[in-house]
Parts: sequence; C-alpha cells; structure tokens
Amino acid sequence: MYTTVDSLGGVTTMEFTALFLAITVVMFVAWKGTRTLALALFGAVLLASVATYLHHATDVLKLSF
Amino acid sequence: MNRSLAITLNALGLYGVAFVLAAAFAAQLSLGELPCPLCLLQRIQFALLAIGPILNVRYGPHPSHYACSLLAAAAGAAFAMRQILLHIMPGDPGYGSALLGYHYYSWAFIGFAVAIVLIAGMLLFDRQFEADGGAKPVEAGAFARIAVWLVIALTALNVLATLAECGFGACADNPVEYELLKRLK
Repeated sequence: MYTTVDSLGGVTTMEFTALFLAITVVMFVAWKGTRTLALALFGAVLLASVATYLHHATDVLKLSF
Repeated sequence: MNRSLAITLNALGLYGVAFVLAAAFAAQLSLGELPCPLCLLQRIQFALLAIGPILNVRYGPHPSHYACSLLAAAAGAAFAMRQILLHIMPGDPGYGSALLGYHYYSWAFIGFAVAIVLIAGMLLFDRQFEADGGAKPVEAGAFARIAVWLVIALTALNVLATLAECGFGACADNPVEYELLKRLK
C-alpha cells in the first residue's frame, strides 16, 4: 500500500522500538522516580516522536489503489 | 471534584489507554495485520497519553500533568488525521481491516479527540488542585496501582512486538511479516 523512500538512509534504524522503550522508561520514572525528571523526559520523547513523524511525512509517498 | 475522585478518574483513564493498547495487540495477533509506521506512531502517542495520568496518580492532580496528555493527544490526532487524509480519495480501500465500519486510524482519531475533550473537562474542576502538598508523592490505592502497572506492561510488550516486527533495521512501510522472526528462522 505505501511505498516510501528513506531520505535519511539508516539514521532512523529501530526508531519505533527505541520510542516505545523510551516511553516505558519515562513511565517507570514517573511512577518511581522524580516528577521533574519525568516531565523533562516526557518532553524529549514527545519531540522525538514528532520528529519521527515529520521525517516520514516528508518521505516520497506513492499510493497504489 | 475533590483530589481523591480526580485520582480515581485518572486511574480510569489509564484503564482506557490499556484497553486501546490491548485491543490493538488483539487485532494484530488475531488478524495477522502488522502495524505500519504511522500506525506505530499513533500507538506511541496513546502510550505517551498515559504519562500525565501516571503523574496525577503518583503526585496528585496538576495542570502540567494534564497539559502533557493534551500535547500527546493533539499530536496523536494529527498523526491519525494524516493517515485518514492519505486514504480520503473515493475508491481507496484504506489501510488494513475496518472495525465496525472504521479503519483503526479513524478510531484512533476519534480516541484522541475524545481524550482531548475529557482532559479539558477534567481541567474545569479547580478543587482537585487545592492542597496539593507541593507535588509530594501520594499513596495510591490498588485500583490505581494496577492501572499504572498494566499500562507499563503493555507499553513494554510493544517494545518487544515492534522489535519482532522491524528487527534491527528500519520498519517496513507496508509490513507483512515479522522481520526478526524471519531472520531467526
């Protein structure tokens, strides 16, 4: 269905696995660690997820119907 | 709305996120349909949505915790809308199976929109923010503790599922098999 060209080469390797892992860590910090650190990590992961989206949103996209 | 009721409602919100993550897993396993990169990003935003309620359960309700969830929900709604618009043309069958007439990304958009409305509704009640004790940890009940660990466990499962799907490389744009399992065969 989707055909995309990875414009950043191998830079984005394992990005989704890393994001899920990062969120798991933030959740654990929010529950067991300090509030300030959790909020800071949340901001970093949110920015990383938006950057990942923007990377994919600017890929060449050919749709087949 | 007092502080205790707000924490209970936040725990209910965590069960809601857990339900969404579990339903996505169930659909993935029962239908054998692997999530595309945009689908994974929407799951990621649902998981991020849970961090605000976890902080509310742990430290008591704060506007900044609700703001975190609002930001995650707004980003998730944008990602889901992007995927809806990719398939908006007449005759496009959409990506994946439809559930009750809507594709998963349409349901995701509805879910994020509902979350935004519910969080805004929670922010209407100022009494929950009184006597917050300077953001010190509060003692959560079993109902809330189970909700937190359920969401953490489901997010950790997504780490393994995504690793199995994508392997150690970039995720396929249109995944049809588990990349890591294929390599291990």
